[in-house]
Amino acid sequence: MKWSTRSDCQVDRAACAWLIRRFIDAEAQFVFVDDPDDVPAGSIAFDIRGAELSHRNGNCSFETFLVHYGLDDPALRALGRVVHEADLGDDRYDAPEAPGLEGIVRGLAATRTDLGLFEATTPIFDALYTVNGGLLRRAQAPTAS
Amino acid sequence: MSEDRPSWDLLAYRLPREPSTPRIALWRRLRRLGAVQLVDGLVALPHNPANLEQLEWAAEEVTEAGGAATLWLATSTSKAQDRALAERIRTVAAADYLTVAEAAQTAASGASSGRRRTLRRLRRALRAIDARAHYRPPEAEQAHDAVERLAELIEVTT
Repeated sequence: MKWSTRSDCQVDRAACAWLIRRFIDAEAQFVFVDDPDDVPAGSIAFDIRGAELSHRNGNCSFETFLVHYGLDDPALRALGRVVHEADLGDDRYDAPEAPGLEGIVRGLAATRTDLGLFEATTPIFDALYTVNGGLLRRAQAPTAS
Repeated sequence: MSEDRPSWDLLAYRLPREPSTPRIALWRRLRRLGAVQLVDGLVALPHNPANLEQLEWAAEEVTEAGGAATLWLATSTSKAQDRALAERIRTVAAADYLTVAEAAQTAASGASSGRRRTLRRLRRALRAIDARAHYRPPEAEQAHDAVERLAELIEVTT
């Protein structure tokens, strides 16, 4: 499946990309556009003005994904609170990890392409998910040659 | 237009007068972002992708509340205008920093109970101001110093 979003990604879109790959579409391909009108036909748009999977009712896009796909997992909800505060900083939640996460992602984004950012933040979101009680399948150990 | 001239992200919006809840929510959001009001219904932030994105969400919020919003990238026609806008952002931030500096000094000279909680609150407030102070006033240093002095005081007295 193709997924479209705006270029120059930061924490919310990086978290959405992680969520898509881990929980919705392991084969996801990402397309970056600068204008909502440039979203390719047949792709699913996210975190872009006017898209269904975007900021809604004061939620960040990551939280909208959780609602839309019925991802009812306490560890994902906890991660959603961190992403919300890292993205919006509106003090809706108490998320002490948020300023740190925001700074790390901004620093990673400064020297990477959007896809590079998605790769670099994958272990970070894996870690935040795990530490909040989420269970990820352990990656296959490399086979001995 | 010179390339070193800063450009601005502008949000033009109109919201129904009633209900007042979305108006207040928008006002809070714009204040959190450190946006400066040019005239009624027109606010500006220094241009960068993060600021533009935040204004996009503000625009979305206006639309959801039944209002109308448009987003613009603007270059002002004089350096004086740029300086004046930057100065307004600096002035608002300076007042916020001074409030924190004073609260830190009051806590340091007052009773020692509750200092730790005050410290946590002030550090949090500082982070929020740092995020919206797009042009940093000298008072920033003063506030950070005052809060760190409070932290040191707690360290030596407990």
